[in-house]
Formats: sequence, C-alpha cells, structure tokens
Amino acid sequence: MKEVNKDVLKDAASRLLFDMKDEEYETLLNEFDIITKQLKLMDEIKGLNDVTPMSFPYIDESFSLLRDDETLEEDLVNKEEMLNNAKVYKDGQVKLPKVVN
Amino acid sequence: MNYLDLTIKEIHEALLKKEVKVSDLVKEAIERCKNDNFNALEATNYEEALKEAYELDKEEVPSDNFLFGIPYICKDNLSTRGIETTAGSNILNGYVPSFDATVVKILKENKAIMIAKSTLDELAMGGSGKSGHKGIQYNPYDETKNHLIGGSSSGSAVVTAASYVPFALGSDTGDSIRKPASYAGLVGYKPTYGLISRFGLFPFSVSLDHVGYFTRSVEDAAILFDYLNKYDVNDYTSSLKERTKVYPLNEKKTHKIAVIKEIIDSIKDEEILSAFKKLLTKLESEGNQVDFVSVDSSILKAIYPSYIIISSAEATSNNANLDGIKFGNRKEGNSYQEVMFNTRNEGFSELIKRRFVLGSYALMSENQEEVYLKAKKVRRVVVDTINKLFEEYDAFIAPSSPTAAHSLNEVSDNLDDTYLIADNYLGIGNFGGYPSITIPLDINKEHLPFGLSITGKIFDDAKVLEIAKECEDITGLKNLSTVTINEKEGR
Repeated sequence: MKEVNKDVLKDAASRLLFDMKDEEYETLLNEFDIITKQLKLMDEIKGLNDVTPMSFPYIDESFSLLRDDETLEEDLVNKEEMLNNAKVYKDGQVKLPKVVN
Repeated sequence: MNYLDLTIKEIHEALLKKEVKVSDLVKEAIERCKNDNFNALEATNYEEALKEAYELDKEEVPSDNFLFGIPYICKDNLSTRGIETTAGSNILNGYVPSFDATVVKILKENKAIMIAKSTLDELAMGGSGKSGHKGIQYNPYDETKNHLIGGSSSGSAVVTAASYVPFALGSDTGDSIRKPASYAGLVGYKPTYGLISRFGLFPFSVSLDHVGYFTRSVEDAAILFDYLNKYDVNDYTSSLKERTKVYPLNEKKTHKIAVIKEIIDSIKDEEILSAFKKLLTKLESEGNQVDFVSVDSSILKAIYPSYIIISSAEATSNNANLDGIKFGNRKEGNSYQEVMFNTRNEGFSELIKRRFVLGSYALMSENQEEVYLKAKKVRRVVVDTINKLFEEYDAFIAPSSPTAAHSLNEVSDNLDDTYLIADNYLGIGNFGGYPSITIPLDINKEHLPFGLSITGKIFDDAKVLEIAKECEDITGLKNLSTVTINEKEGR
C-alpha cells in the first residue's frame, strides 16, 4: 500500500482535476489516519485472499445488460431543452472551449 | 387534522368520498413547503402542481389508482424535466434535465403531483444532512434545531416527517433512506436491487445505488412498490424477472426471523435495547420463530471500510462527467484543461473532494490489490455470510441505528464496535441488493424517534413488507409525523 502523505494526496487530487487548501489536506491526512486503521480491520477476516472480488450485488439471468439496438419510442433528448443548458450556443450548436490544438 | 396528514391510502379514500379536492391537498402542501423551517427544499414546482391539481379536480377519482392527486416531493438527484436538478452540489447549479427519471415518469403517468425537489448531502455522498449546498437539514422532532435528520436523503425525510407530503422519493447507497427514516420516525424502503429503475438517478456508486422512498405506513410502502416495481429498458441493471403485486399484504403468515447477536451487543442505548427486546417478545408470542444467531464480528466490522472504499472509488469515475464541458456549471479558463480544473475546483465542496481523493487513492495501481480489490473481497464474504443466513431465515432484524438522531456537533468514535457494526451494518442491504426497510420502533425520552430495520432475501420484497407490517401493528406507530405526535400530545 502506498504511503499516505501530502504529496500523494495532492497527486490524487490533481488526477481528479482539482486542488485543496493546505488546511484541507491536513484534515484529509487526519482522516486517513482513521481510515488506514479501519482498512486494517479487513485483514482480520480469515481466508479473505481465497475469495473472488465482488463487483455487483448478484448476477443471474434476470439482467439484460445489453438491449436490442432499437430506436426508443420517445425522443429523450429534446434539442431546445438541451441547448438551454449550454452556456453559449449559436445556430443550434454548443460553443465549447477549444479542445484540439 | 388536515387530510394531508393522513396516509396515501387514507387520502385516496377521502378523495373517493369527495371529502377533499386534489387542489385543497396541493394548496396545503405548497403552504407547508413555503413555511419550511428545516431547510429541506431545492427547486419548487408550485405553479405547475396547482395547474395539474385543478385539472384533476374536474376528473372522476378512479377507485383503482391510489396515487391520483397525491402530492409528493422528489429527491434532487433524480432528473425532472424542466425543473432544475442539482444533487445538492454547486457544480450542477442551473442544470435543467430534458427528461424525467423513470420513477418520476411513472408517478406522473399515475397522476401523483410533484410539489418540489428536496435537498440532500452533496451528490448523495454523506450521511449527515449537513454537506449539501443548502447547508444543514434539521430534524423536525426538535424545534430548537439542535438535531440532525441524517442523510443523504435528508430533505425527503424532513418533508415526510413534518407532513408537507405523505411520501417522498429518495436514494440509498449505504443507508441513505433507511438511516434518516430511523431518525425521522418514518417508513423508509429500499427494494431489491434491479426492481426499481435507476434511469435518471445521478449515479454515486452504481453497484450500490438504489432508488427508494419514504412513507408513513408500511401499507403505503407496499402500494408504492407495486407502482414503481417495473422493468425499464433504459436501465441496464433493471431485472427482467416477472413482477408480482405485493399489495394487499398477506397478514396471516408467521416467519423465521434472525437477530444477529453481534449487532445487538454493539448497541449501548438502553431505551433502544429495551424497545427492541419488547418487540421480539411480542413477535414470538404471535407465533414467529425468533433466533439469536452469531456472525463473525470481524466480518461485520469490515463492512464500513469496504463500503467507503468501493463507493468512493466508483464515485470518482461516476462523477468524472462533471467537468464544465459535458455537464456542470462551467468556470472559464485559457484551455479546456483549465476549464475542467476551475469548474471542479470551485464546484465541489471540501467533503466531496476528500471522498474523491480517497477513491482515487484506492484505485492507484500500487493500491488496487491491497485496498480496492480487498474491499470487494470483503463485500463477497459479507454477502456469502448473509445468503447463508437466509437459507434458514426469512429475514434478519435489528435497530436501524445505535442511537436516535445525533445532535449537531456530536462526534462519534469511528473505531469502536458501536460505530463500525451497529451504525453501519445497513450497508449489507446495498452489498447484496437485499430488500431492506426501516419502520419506527419507538420514541425516546427526548421525544426523538428511532427505528427498526428488516432485511430479507433478494426478490422477497413481499415477505420483508409483511414482517414490517406485523412489527408496525405491534408498535402501533403508524402514520407518525410531527403533526400527529403534537396532536396526540396536545401540543
């Protein structure tokens, strides 16, 4: 397990595209002290290494997971309503910051 | 007593008998929302609601539609067409969905009337009702505003407990309906994973998220279940299983009920323990088999760490679309990277950032095996253990929380058994997708309610509701609200 220090947490925050104030990192470091102790409790379960990780509450035939490639009856995306959520739009197109240099 | 203070079923009967009009109910609900003293609401829908009500006044009340003209409030992480939906986060201020969540659509089709959106812990992450962008939601059972209602469905709990409406929609990822229901003297139900559509719910942790609701009686919970329990092609986790109606509930059966000894041993509150013991005695005297069973406490203590890792890790990825480009209240910058950074940096509160950092830490390549995958292994052990229990028993029951509602500045020891086990065992319901319900168990000397939770096998929602009804009949705490309590106590 990677050692927890301010630099590691700052790195994690930058991967998530935000930063925090110095005192917020202090709070988070204190929180990690407790979380690390809580995480150690997982090691007390006998035979944990022999178990397969669980990603879903249950898997059975009752999930479709993939649906047929059919057009839905109703149009869920109404252009006018969508555009109203955009900060700037012109001629039916959303104006965005340049993403390709 | 106003008609709005009755249960859904009772209001429906009054509408049928023409004792009250839909518009009277909606006007009263709007009036109560306007006088909200507990900080429960986000966007409101008053004008449209009244318009719908006057239209319904002209129609004959159908005897087979319990929801006709019933006012309700919707948690603000469920999409509502044309109504701002923020999930309690500044990053989504101003976002107006162009479609309704499937649950909202079903309620609309059945002519229930949405009065407002209710606030929540930011992005439904948090269990206090303190972290949303509207600030604290106060528990209506304490008029001095010194107690919390709990979260994350904090606003929905307030509006049902203070009787602004007879029911409210919520979501539950760890205990976000069932815990506030306990603190608010309500029925809070989270059905089996896959039965109620999550289409239109802002995802927090998709493998754990459930849509559910608050009501003031178990019968109302059963009635609503029959409306919302539908396959939805828009939700890939919607179960294809054939649906059967649960209402009216079968009242004559007796059940095999387990009590996990280690959960009870970790509760110290004498009033809660005594009320629970009394209930067990009564259940047994009515012919139910009630057995104390033992579960390895190391498994129970690992539920919370496993939950916080899985949910935070999933949350980092589920909320990656909130970047100011695809979604979110954009803050400008010189490049798209700067736009994303500024949007997220200003849009998320400190608590959310801390949760995301924890999730990101768990997902770092060096930590995957030791943290993330280990948490998922714990989830498997927990579910295997409970499934084994369900081979012999219909359900397990326990007080929903080790205490009644917390006071505003209360701090708990996050490493003791009371916190790790009794305060967090409800996560079992999300780990395994089990149907799980909270109902009021009793009211303590401080006049604060506390709840009982019943958890059963997947797809056995009917049995969980049946047991809940039997317990409700024993406690007599049906249609509890601050209004009915005040009337009863002559306040």
